[in-house]
Amino acid sequence: MAARLRPARRLVYLYFRCLGQQMKAILAYEADFVVLLFSAAIVQLAGFAFIWTIFQRIPDINGWTFWQVVMMYALIFITEGVGSLFFEGTWWLSWLVYSGEFDQVLVRPVSPIVQVLAGRVGFNGLGNIVTGGVLMAIALTNVPIAWTPGRVLMLVVLILSAAMIRVALNLGTAAIAFWIRAPWSMVPMFVHQLGEFAKYPITIYSTAVQAVIVVAIPFAFVSFFPTAFIFGVDAWSLPGLLTPLVAVYCLFMAVTVFNIGLRRYESTGH
Amino acid sequence: MPLIEAIGLTKKFRQAVKEPGLVGSLKHFFTRQYKDKLAVDHIDLSVEAGESVAYLGPNGAGKSTTIKMLTGILVPTSGSLIVDGLVPHEKRQQNARNIGVVFGQRTQLWWDIPVIESFNLARDMYEIPPKQYKANLAEFTELLGLAEFMNLPAGKISLGQRMRADLCMALLHDPKMLYLDEPTIGLDIAVKDSIRKFIRSRVEESGTTVMLTTHDLGDIEDICNRIVIIDNGKIIHDGDLAALKDNYARDRVIHFQLARPPESIAPICAGLPACELTNDGLSLSVRFDRFQFAAGEIAAAVMPHVEVLDFRIDEPEVEDLIRKVYLGQLTLDAPDSAANATEPAVPLGA
Amino acid sequence: MHLRKYAAIAKASLEVIFVYRASFALNMVGTVFYVVAMFYLWQTIFLGSPGALGGFTWPEMKAYLLVAFLLNSLMTWFDEWVMGRDVREGRVAVDLARPIDYQTKRFAEAVGPIPFELFSALLVGSVVVFVFGGIALPTDPAHLALFIVSVALATLLKFAIIYCVSMTAFWTTGMTGIVVGRVAIQNLFSGALIPLVFFPDWLRAIAAVLPFQGLVSTPALTYLGKMDGPTTALMLGIQAVWAFGLLLFGRLLWRGAVKAVTINGG
Repeated sequence: MAARLRPARRLVYLYFRCLGQQMKAILAYEADFVVLLFSAAIVQLAGFAFIWTIFQRIPDINGWTFWQVVMMYALIFITEGVGSLFFEGTWWLSWLVYSGEFDQVLVRPVSPIVQVLAGRVGFNGLGNIVTGGVLMAIALTNVPIAWTPGRVLMLVVLILSAAMIRVALNLGTAAIAFWIRAPWSMVPMFVHQLGEFAKYPITIYSTAVQAVIVVAIPFAFVSFFPTAFIFGVDAWSLPGLLTPLVAVYCLFMAVTVFNIGLRRYESTGH
Repeated sequence: MPLIEAIGLTKKFRQAVKEPGLVGSLKHFFTRQYKDKLAVDHIDLSVEAGESVAYLGPNGAGKSTTIKMLTGILVPTSGSLIVDGLVPHEKRQQNARNIGVVFGQRTQLWWDIPVIESFNLARDMYEIPPKQYKANLAEFTELLGLAEFMNLPAGKISLGQRMRADLCMALLHDPKMLYLDEPTIGLDIAVKDSIRKFIRSRVEESGTTVMLTTHDLGDIEDICNRIVIIDNGKIIHDGDLAALKDNYARDRVIHFQLARPPESIAPICAGLPACELTNDGLSLSVRFDRFQFAAGEIAAAVMPHVEVLDFRIDEPEVEDLIRKVYLGQLTLDAPDSAANATEPAVPLGA
Repeated sequence: MHLRKYAAIAKASLEVIFVYRASFALNMVGTVFYVVAMFYLWQTIFLGSPGALGGFTWPEMKAYLLVAFLLNSLMTWFDEWVMGRDVREGRVAVDLARPIDYQTKRFAEAVGPIPFELFSALLVGSVVVFVFGGIALPTDPAHLALFIVSVALATLLKFAIIYCVSMTAFWTTGMTGIVVGRVAIQNLFSGALIPLVFFPDWLRAIAAVLPFQGLVSTPALTYLGKMDGPTTALMLGIQAVWAFGLLLFGRLLWRGAVKAVTINGG
């Protein structure tokens, strides 16, 4: 059993080794680092100010309260932060394939996915995680929720699942690079912007939009359903339980698409 | 048992053919037409451990495609390829442990971190035992002069320094095979020299097998003892470098600087049959087959007829040879027949 | 003639966009998601409340959002990265040696793609109108004329702001954080996210002293005719003062930075 785990442990170790080196490199540029942290915080504060101003005029949006919307925002930001801090490499894949540098990745005895994911670090992610975390904490403490150990555990699971969905989407769409060569990632950025819809309760959208962000690109499982579950909104909380499954499914699909793309790269040479 | 055994190795690329202009784009949208390009055409290649092979060919001949298949990056269309008992593209990561690769124009080092950290990462990726790592690192640092920039990031060092570091990184895990793609391009003479010496020493002392693609013939002369030439996907020559020079690069040329222009060189020509003499004012050049005459004999035949002030000797150039092959002016015979020929297959001095 | 030189630069800039049109189009569609999300959000808000909100009717709000989108679409191709790259790659020295004014050159480049951006924005706007229904149109042709003037000033102002902020390029190496931060602050205080009238008084006061309101709020309100004559003149005047003031300030910053760099040999 230990022998079976060894390759997996090695990959995890190597992943953190590479990531750590990237972080060290960036920390060398102190001014940049500070700016990145603050810019993430500013973006979130501006967003918070926006929602707050709206809720000065209206009591709720479709029945959803201020703190619930703040929670959705927070989840979007936290998961984006995780993606930037730990998995920024997905945005690098397009350039790797386009420039041919991907060959160098293939020539090393380490899984290409791990190398790609660990290849870049975005410190704005740290700002996003911290600010988003604070917003979430404030939201959760301002609302009466019956906290049980089960519920707390579920919160952690939901946050992790939401992050996993985000990362999987980044990776899966980044793999388009194997089919469409371009110096920067067009399609992943495009899909990433669908996340804009997930900042608000999906009940405000038409069925068409809902179908897209629930089934096709499941952003709704990043913010909306987890929020509904945690806040105990019975009508919408059941899908919240599905979130971990959706996360696993998305990850599986992303890795599959990546591997199919990889096979194509190896057969066509670019 | 050869380290690399390729039999009938082929790589065919399908390229989409699109006519120019809007009409072409529309047509292409509905009916796709493809053209097949045979980048590597049923080549047979066998490399024993410890050989150092120069893999040459004009641009587009199929060199990089072959190397990509050998390193497992590209899947062959047909044919068999076995490297150290493995099929490279099937067991890519395993094959990767056995090889070191140096891309001339790109670096394997991580750009923003100190060179030593890149080495440490390599140690972890290749799972090099600590003792071996320390020993190799110390040896290569000294041989390649890396100490002065070990703590600088790759982005801040010169091309020559980067190349040396890349070479070190490629060899830290003691790979059986070293693939070099244009390793000395853009480097100054001193650095080229030290790199060639280093590679040569790895071949001789550690028995590393080296496969080198290059346009720099100095690399070939210093490092390799076997030369394989590929053109249009087919191997057109595969043999010993020394034998190649013996068979095809037989000409030496002595350039004499004269005191006075001679009235006629006919008498000299008479004394030097099968040599080519050219006279241009004060310079007289004699092109001769080095296996037929010694330089002294030529000089002895020339000097009684004219007053010689100075002379210099041009040695046979592999460069010349290769250029002619690329240009199609010279076809090299299959390896065996060339060794037996007393006269070259094609007239020299084209 | 000087103008010809800069016109050529602008034209070249437009051509580059055309070459990258697929990427540009995809980028455009991406920003549309934001607009559509906003439309759905505000629609829900307006449907849930009786009458007008903050003095806006739903058709007026839709118009406001689209005008904001239009203004945000202009000059998107120009951000702090442009100058960041120049500084990082040491091209500043090259530009100094040329008989071209750096600021004007950058302006010409920024302005070049505008026809393309305008076209895309109008296209997107039409689709949104088609889906969500009609928007308010200016009743008075004077409003339309003043609106166009305001848009021109807003574009100038946008350039001036970005130009000034770009000066940070001399201290940092990566501009991503700067761009993101500036856009966030700009979106909030320009009125792009929400009409400034919705702000509580203290926030309103802050917005009033910042230059950003000239980017969206002033033109949009001019379009809707929400301000009376004197107020409109005042707001347009404030736009112009900020625009030209910051352009001038940018020139001073530039000169100072260049001096510092040439002394230290950047």
